[in-house]
Amino acid sequence: MAEPVAAGRTAAEIQSNADAALEQRRQRRYLVHALLRSPTFMIGTSSVVLWILMALFSTWFTQSPFDVNPMDTLQAPSAAHWLGTDDLGRDVLARTLAGARSVLIVAPLATLLALLMGTTIGLITGFYRGITDEVIMRLVDVLLALPVVITSILILSLLGQSVAIVIVVIGVLFTPLVSRTVRSAVLREREREYVMASRLRGERSWFVMAREILPNITAPIIVEGTVRLGYAVFTAATLSFLGFGLQPPSPDWGLTIASERLFVQLAWWTVIFPAIALASLVVGVNLITDGLGRVFSK
Amino acid sequence: MSDVVNEGIGQTGAPQAAAVDVRDLEVTFHRRGRDLPVLRGVSLRIAAGEAYGLVGESGCGKTTLALAVLRYLAANGTVDRGDILVDGRDVSTLSEEELRKWRGEAVAMVYQDPATALSPAMRIGDQVAEVFRFHQGLNKTAAREGARESLRKVALPDPEATLRRYPFELSGGQQQRVVIAMALAANPRLLILDEPTTGLDATVEAEILDLIEELRGRINAAILLITHNLGLVARLCERVGVLYAGRLVEEGPAREIFTDPRHPYTMGLLRCVPRFGMNKSDAALQTIPGTLPALGEALQGCVYSARCPMAQPVCVRREPDLHAWPGDGGPRARAEAEAAPADPAAWSPHHASPVGEGLRHARCYFSAEVPDMPATTPVLSAPGAVEEGRAGDVLEIDTVRRSFRDGRKKLVAVHDVSLNLKRGETFGLVGESGSGKTTLAKCITGLIAADSGTVSFEGKRLKPTAGRRSQAALRAIQMVFQNPDSTLNPAWSTRAILTRAVRKLDGGSGSSVRAKVDELAADVRVEPRFLLQKPMDLSGGQKQRIAIARAFAGDPTLVVCDEPASALDVSVQASILNLLVELQASEAVSYIFISHDLAVVRYLSDRIGVMYLAELIEVGSAEEVFNPPHHPYTEALLSSIPTLDLDDSHERIPLRGSMPSLSDPPSGCRFHTRCHRILGDICVEQEPPLQEAVTGHTYKCHIPPDELLRAQTEVDPLAESIST
Repeated sequence: MAEPVAAGRTAAEIQSNADAALEQRRQRRYLVHALLRSPTFMIGTSSVVLWILMALFSTWFTQSPFDVNPMDTLQAPSAAHWLGTDDLGRDVLARTLAGARSVLIVAPLATLLALLMGTTIGLITGFYRGITDEVIMRLVDVLLALPVVITSILILSLLGQSVAIVIVVIGVLFTPLVSRTVRSAVLREREREYVMASRLRGERSWFVMAREILPNITAPIIVEGTVRLGYAVFTAATLSFLGFGLQPPSPDWGLTIASERLFVQLAWWTVIFPAIALASLVVGVNLITDGLGRVFSK
Repeated sequence: MSDVVNEGIGQTGAPQAAAVDVRDLEVTFHRRGRDLPVLRGVSLRIAAGEAYGLVGESGCGKTTLALAVLRYLAANGTVDRGDILVDGRDVSTLSEEELRKWRGEAVAMVYQDPATALSPAMRIGDQVAEVFRFHQGLNKTAAREGARESLRKVALPDPEATLRRYPFELSGGQQQRVVIAMALAANPRLLILDEPTTGLDATVEAEILDLIEELRGRINAAILLITHNLGLVARLCERVGVLYAGRLVEEGPAREIFTDPRHPYTMGLLRCVPRFGMNKSDAALQTIPGTLPALGEALQGCVYSARCPMAQPVCVRREPDLHAWPGDGGPRARAEAEAAPADPAAWSPHHASPVGEGLRHARCYFSAEVPDMPATTPVLSAPGAVEEGRAGDVLEIDTVRRSFRDGRKKLVAVHDVSLNLKRGETFGLVGESGSGKTTLAKCITGLIAADSGTVSFEGKRLKPTAGRRSQAALRAIQMVFQNPDSTLNPAWSTRAILTRAVRKLDGGSGSSVRAKVDELAADVRVEPRFLLQKPMDLSGGQKQRIAIARAFAGDPTLVVCDEPASALDVSVQASILNLLVELQASEAVSYIFISHDLAVVRYLSDRIGVMYLAELIEVGSAEEVFNPPHHPYTEALLSSIPTLDLDDSHERIPLRGSMPSLSDPPSGCRFHTRCHRILGDICVEQEPPLQEAVTGHTYKCHIPPDELLRAQTEVDPLAESIST
């Protein structure tokens, strides 16, 4: 009738099939190229990758970040100590580079936790709506109304301080934001016709949420994740600056800035380098977010 | 090639007074590192005061042409070649500042969706006045006066009140009037209408067309109408250009081209629109096989050769020129092409579009044979729909009502609708948007629950929501949705989609599922290779075929089709409709077919129901409903369709006012506020009875059938009575 299906495949068909596959591969290659050519993305990525490498390997080639040297306190940058020494005579370069370690453990894990919980909550509230949605979203509103840092301090002083608890606290406090983003994506998606079709097939709710809707809202979840990651770095640093979270003698940036700030007029290098390190990581993460967004929206 | 009209660039010193002169335009888009030619040497001229229609499937480059004329191409689009002159001015030479000024003064464009053309945060008055202030330099009060005057010109009721309103307070038709008012405010030399009525209901569309037609007399602008609706062009335009894959394939006076097309593509387009009054038992719809070449696809010879039922080897050897018709340009060029060495890659030399009153051109070697173009589908169609032996009711709907809450207000979207449906029957549901068609469909399938009333299937009462229905009931009643882009899960492969449907609806496992999926794909004529792909890689028609296959996975008894072909191009629409007819013949399935396109509904349906403001106001066989006596609303609806039949003998019946709100429906007869046959107080005070014209044909009106018949068959019914 209308468009008869040829019994066997013609050469042209096989050709066009191969063309399609080629085209897909070409598009993927193009995207990778576009990312590689995007200065935003590349600067962000190199800065983040650099810090990851430092976190892993910096102690192989620097002096020990923990060796106290009472004879050499607050030395200005020199050949022996490229970035000077701090109030206990520890090498600032070694401590700054090693300081990436704690933040690169805390921030990604906290973000991951927030993504997991936020996505689950967002899926459930967005999908069921009604009273479940009302109750959970009001709770979310309450959580959102709490200032993150003050709440974290409260919880940490109640529960005691450990890296694990810092991760959980940041993760929990970031969950509402993620769940909001996910919920709005789910609300949009659940009205789509393929979701209606799945209901007419008698699919269970969890199937519709996990298999039908979730694969189609990964883009907003990834973007939200990178945004949260930037903030998580920041929050983790703030908490250790305030003395909640990592404890001395950890070379953590926030902690270092806090403990050395007393000497900033005498020895600016003890504070400025960890601060630059922190800023470069946060900016790096944000640049990656921007770069991804720009290339994919083309 | 001498009879290719050589009024080319440079040869005519002073061209005729063309308001728009596009010469040899080539536009390329650059996407993800590739150059995709969209327009390939298009030339056209539009005289001042002339209306030119540009038609073709979506993706042919119609809108790109319009945007290029306005120099509004997206950042990744470039004009590689050619000139665009508007009123003798070369658009490409304008500086940014001149361009801004020129766009405000000399050209105007009306887009498809009026809602997005207006700023939602500004009052209508301020928006319209802005045009006068910025482009004509008027002060505030003068601009305000100008705005008021221009709203009056587009026949908006109560312009004074409209000025103070926000866009969301206006109906779609009123919004489009405002957009047109703004477009005309500066007395443009060129008015571009890009699908100006596509999003509007038939009756509103008719009003806007009347308005454009009337305004044409008063403004001396060239009009470029871009549309896929050939009926619209037939009604509004003097000349028409048919665009295919970025090439103009035929051009000339609209009337001649529509009655006597000389390019196979034009012929194909005309043939695949169901003619009014045609029914599925008469003939299958003609289709255009294949799909539009993808952007950037390498083309050999004639751009249309891959889909052309008349294509010969010579068509691929070299592309034909746009030659004059009548004339011997076609055959002579063909002889030349056959003699020339094969060079499929070479474009034929560029020719400026020949322009002249009454001249026709076609880009085909075989123009002379186009009237005898072979049919693409067998003319014989499916057997008669209902086999009498099985004709029991499969579906009974009894006084179903459904309302929604809108803040404090309660909107009754479906008001006590009852109907029944036989096995193998198609029930067409028509009505304007907001009349409750889709809500009723969702009540039937269980996507939403009815507030009251019952839906019974094969004598058994169904649970109100799909979630509570048995798997057997779900399998029996399936749905095909409107939007091909969201009907399939974009994250799944086509095979996964069908496999899941077969597992849930048909049962079975392993190889039997696989076999069933292959069978379904073959039934809907989707080639196996597309099963590996994601919906994104399929065309709209293919997506809709997969959606149909999904609905048929469990051998349903009833399939509810909610505008399944409305989002598709006419050629694809025809093949989807053919598929539905075919499946019905082989599977004995019943359809509820919802559409706003009356010709399509007429073609497909055995019985038809007309909805107005949540009520079913008329039910009968397709034949009966479309002929007098019928409900006055149906009468008005039918009169409003722009058709290709150019005699235009039917008088259009304009509806008064706009659609009343569902939260506060009119008393008595719901249609009385707009009815042209209103009797008087009885219509306002009493709900009309259900009148029976013949057995099985009922309508809700106070006028008895014989009187209605008399009134509706009078020659010149009510020309005067409604002129106010």
